[in-house]
Amino acid sequence: MRILVVGGGCGGTILANNLARRLAGEIRTRKARITMLSASDRHMYQPGLLYVAFGQMMPDELYRDQATLIEPTIDFHVDPVEQFELDRNQVRTKSGKVHSYDILVIATGSRIVPEEIPGLVEGSETFYTEKGAVSMFKKLREFQGGKIGIVVGVPHKCPIAPVEVTFSLHDYFVARGIRDKVHIKYHYPINRIHSIENVAKWAKPEFDRMGIEYETLFNVEEVDAKNKIVKSMEGTEYQYDLLISIPAHRGMQEIEKNNLGEGGWIPTDRHMLTMEGHDNVYVLGDTTNLPVSKTGSAAHFEAEVVAENIASIVKIGTPVTEYDGKVYCFIEAGHDKATYAMFNYQNPPDLKAANKSMHWFKMSYNKMYWASVRGLL
Amino acid sequence: MNTRTDTPLPATDYENDLQRLGELASLVAAAQDALSDDMVSRLASAFSEGITLLDRLTRNEGLMRLLQVLDRAECQYVLTSLADAITQMSRELATAPPAKGGFGGLLKLAREPGTQEGLRALSMLGKYWNDSLRELHRHGG
Repeated sequence: MRILVVGGGCGGTILANNLARRLAGEIRTRKARITMLSASDRHMYQPGLLYVAFGQMMPDELYRDQATLIEPTIDFHVDPVEQFELDRNQVRTKSGKVHSYDILVIATGSRIVPEEIPGLVEGSETFYTEKGAVSMFKKLREFQGGKIGIVVGVPHKCPIAPVEVTFSLHDYFVARGIRDKVHIKYHYPINRIHSIENVAKWAKPEFDRMGIEYETLFNVEEVDAKNKIVKSMEGTEYQYDLLISIPAHRGMQEIEKNNLGEGGWIPTDRHMLTMEGHDNVYVLGDTTNLPVSKTGSAAHFEAEVVAENIASIVKIGTPVTEYDGKVYCFIEAGHDKATYAMFNYQNPPDLKAANKSMHWFKMSYNKMYWASVRGLL
Repeated sequence: MNTRTDTPLPATDYENDLQRLGELASLVAAAQDALSDDMVSRLASAFSEGITLLDRLTRNEGLMRLLQVLDRAECQYVLTSLADAITQMSRELATAPPAKGGFGGLLKLAREPGTQEGLRALSMLGKYWNDSLRELHRHGG
């Protein structure tokens, strides 16, 4: 059985490692083979970018060599896929190589598209890339007071990020002793302050307590970088001194180019995680069009299900389990306390009061992530 | 008969439990005050790397087989005698004059019963090693 994993991010790596553990015997006797194709030889811990933006982590702490994270039985190549030929059970890579498969897993992730909003690239800071996070930190260091706006595009990776960055801004300026000189205004595209209702209910009194102003139904139309004004499709605008954006995301371009899914999101069965119309193609993480958060934790739980099912197909010829939509998100409620949200297709999250122990759990997870992607946790 | 004692009445179980909970809370609070984010990160990093290493070791079939074999008494004798032999060798090498070289010296060495015993042990090791390696390759480990 030839299993091909396209994408070496969080979901693809966890899946490949989990599968290599489950199929150790079959790989040894050459009954199964796992190949991974990735666009990069480095693996980034993406949630760490928020800490970089506040000077709490250095960029080099976010990276590990991909080859050190994967099981030695996985055949790993840095050679991104350019063409998916699903009707012929094969893919074609940038180097021109053709890889055939019996089972394909697509975990190519997502990308930010700030360029789709006029002026957003020039007029705002974002922490969704290493360069952007470092730049944002430098801007925050220079900031001596004024108006900070936070704007959010949809869909975006890590649904909690808008409230986390807002809480962190508050704590950052409190720590610098200039909070009274900083006006923070949070803008959100729907008619409450967060897409997850219970997160909105939890965050609202926190915003009130911290003196953070908020405006809902604010979908960014354009940014006038010269005059520092952000305008919404709803007709309102905000004059800022520093604008922080969570840009909208799209799936990877190769997915769109190969007509696998609109916007780069592949239509996916919500329980089996197979691509619609292709039972031997699985989709993981951000790449799916599922109504779950685009987070590492969703990719992780999906990878566990897909690995179990592929292994059982190899061993007994049939899948054995289904994905229930589980997502677990840490929520940093500032610089020294945190809480979490756990939910699935059936149950909404029930948020607890933030505390320091949860913050340390999150701090610990930042390091334990590497054990997690190795398929250990 | 009534007796008086100065010993106070024992606290109820409930009070004892509360006291223990209070002590636990103090311990957690003390840990929170003593530790910093960096310390927690370093501890977590050590834990993460530690379990990764442990995982690699425990899933390494060669190492596990070695440990299994080393559990046998005769293997422990081998290790002990090897350690003894290394000690003896280092002592003898330190005091022995340098070899003069030449075929004669080699012949003299070959005539010694110890040399012949050593060569026999090494050739047996090579034979069984080779057999085992061939078997492992034949059955895929």
